[in-house]
Amino acid sequence: MHNVWLIARREYIERVRTRGFLVTTVMIPLIMGGFMVGTSFLGAKVVLPSHIAIVSSDAQPALDLQDELERPRLSDGAQGGPASRPRMTVDVMGAGQETQAIVDRDLDSGDLDGYLWITPAGTPDSRPTYTFTPRSPEQRGLRPVLANALDAVLMRERLAHRGVLGAELDSMMHPTEIASVDAPNSSDRETKEVSVAVLFFLMYMVIMLYGMNVARSIIEEKTSRIFEVLLATIRPEEMMAGKIIGVGSVGLTQVAIWIAAGLLLAGSSIVSQFGGQPVHVALSAAQVGYFFVFFLLGYLFYSSIAAALGAMTNSEQELQQLNMFLVLPLLFCFTALKAVMTNPDGNLARGLSLVPPFTPLLMYLRVTLGHPAPWEVALSLALISASIYGTIWVTSRIYRVGVLMYGKRPNLPELLRWLRYS
Amino acid sequence: MPIVQLQHVRKVYDTKVAVEDLSLAIEPGTMFGLLGPNGSGKTSSIRMMIGITMPDSGTVSLFDRPFDRSMLPLVGYLPEERGLYKKMHVLDQLVFLGQLHGLRASEAAKRARLWCERLNIAEALPKKTEDLSKGMQQKIQFIASVLHDPELIIMDEPFTGLDPVNAALLMETLADLRRDGRAVLFSTHRMDQVEKMCDNIALIHRGHLVLAGSMREVKSSYPRNRVVIQFEGGDGFLRHPAIESQKRYNGHVEIKLRASATLDDDAQSLLLEAIRRARVTRFEVMEPTLEEIFIEKVGETDGPETGSAICEEERAGELIDA
Repeated sequence: MHNVWLIARREYIERVRTRGFLVTTVMIPLIMGGFMVGTSFLGAKVVLPSHIAIVSSDAQPALDLQDELERPRLSDGAQGGPASRPRMTVDVMGAGQETQAIVDRDLDSGDLDGYLWITPAGTPDSRPTYTFTPRSPEQRGLRPVLANALDAVLMRERLAHRGVLGAELDSMMHPTEIASVDAPNSSDRETKEVSVAVLFFLMYMVIMLYGMNVARSIIEEKTSRIFEVLLATIRPEEMMAGKIIGVGSVGLTQVAIWIAAGLLLAGSSIVSQFGGQPVHVALSAAQVGYFFVFFLLGYLFYSSIAAALGAMTNSEQELQQLNMFLVLPLLFCFTALKAVMTNPDGNLARGLSLVPPFTPLLMYLRVTLGHPAPWEVALSLALISASIYGTIWVTSRIYRVGVLMYGKRPNLPELLRWLRYS
Repeated sequence: MPIVQLQHVRKVYDTKVAVEDLSLAIEPGTMFGLLGPNGSGKTSSIRMMIGITMPDSGTVSLFDRPFDRSMLPLVGYLPEERGLYKKMHVLDQLVFLGQLHGLRASEAAKRARLWCERLNIAEALPKKTEDLSKGMQQKIQFIASVLHDPELIIMDEPFTGLDPVNAALLMETLADLRRDGRAVLFSTHRMDQVEKMCDNIALIHRGHLVLAGSMREVKSSYPRNRVVIQFEGGDGFLRHPAIESQKRYNGHVEIKLRASATLDDDAQSLLLEAIRRARVTRFEVMEPTLEEIFIEKVGETDGPETGSAICEEERAGELIDA
């Protein structure tokens, strides 16, 4: 045990001291934050003021439409959400001989973002046809806006036709407001779903970053050939365990820094400036406990597989070819996520959550969102613990032979033979 | 009480026999040379002594007891493949390796300083390992293997890559350690070093022990059929019938005499002939050098052509020496 501690401590100290640790600790949240701000900025760009033209031989409907489009919506100021309509400048044109050429020219020059061509109905029974030509695919978003406004105008016209007038008409056309009030349990469930998403993200990231770091550090040891000195005093199992614990602690340190920073930020005003809503952390102590248990088991399971991959390969390039063994089970969990979330106690969820590679994510999901039987939780924990033990056993065998060997990557029969060497 | 004892040890990798029926023992306070061409099973044997691998059959004893990992802190090992953590500072590295061998951090640091002074590399201590020259890194690794004051020191090819001054320094250090009662085993194919330093030797070839014993025994078991003559003048005496083969060098000649019951007389007659024809400044009759014994022994078990082919194959086999 002392040896494991020594290996783990060396690994931890050497890694935390590097500039790389500092850079990733600072850069990853920055990049992610930048990404989020960037997307919301780009999203906002779609709702820029636009300039369109309505071409119609009949002036009245066009003017009504212009009126409708340029009128600020009642709810605009209050809501401010993405549903708000872009501010618009609308020109009305009569359909003349030159009109087509003019609007096309304006469209090309960028003066117009699009034009709506109203062709009057041929017969009294049929409706006029409306054709919208956007300048570019980005302006396609204007179409539903136009359609809504058009519907309103036509409705108003028809109502007026039937004698509904003035204040009555206005009150009829007044949009209904649906106030949304959260149901008592919905926010709880939402937090749970958020926490599951966070777990998935953390798991994925930590496994990709630090599982791969375990593999990398083994490759590094192979290339520096230091392991032979180490193996002369300690067992391969101890070496492996030390590496996994050491590298994992670095990962946990980093995650802890992010979480602490995140909590500090969430309390401050910076988040709300970006339109974010205050995050409620409403998890019970048991849920937090489960989070850590499943997180640690998941890390141990995947990083011991990563260690085996590292022991089998001689370079990072070779490692890259094998990292699908880490990614695929996680991606599978991701695809199964929705099914398990909708029916956390269904047979599919019950079966999958017992499969060790999926247990950390899917059983955690069930524990938070569903009601798994205690024996199911216990069984899944036993199964994944046993598979961690098994993986570490196999890995240390592969490691023992793999580190002493260089040359080509072993094939499967060779790997099986390695397991028999003692 | 032998410190290390191998008895009828056998190790097979797949179909390839790395070590076959190998028995040897190393006594405290002696220096043991493990000799053999590349791929002969030296590294495989050493790895079994320290439990990196286990023999398929036969027994390994350490400190007069069946092999037990708890004895490993009493062993210092310098592997043939050198390796240190490149990014670590030298002192941290030595302390870490010392701790793995059971030293406390403060004690390890103290000893690391003393050893670095002893090997004239005190200035390396605060540096990063990757900033050191190769020879310096090798000295650091040497220190790492003796820092915990082991009873048994095992060095796989310790002198390769060192300049003569540093090789001599390490040899001297090893001799000092032996004088302090440590058992030292090293493998090499540099015969001059072995001849100078070792009390006992074992020569293995293709996994088999072909020659073993104390240096004196081994050499005296060979006839004194080598003659070195340093001379000036005519070399007509070199056509003497007792000469089997000869190697001419600048100013001297190394002669191998024909095998016969009267070797001493043959040598005397050769000396008389030489004095008649040339001016002799040195005349010495001796046993073959270890190098000659080595080449002869290795040549006996296989011819030169097949020999090299087998070496290739064995080198390939050694890659999976685990």
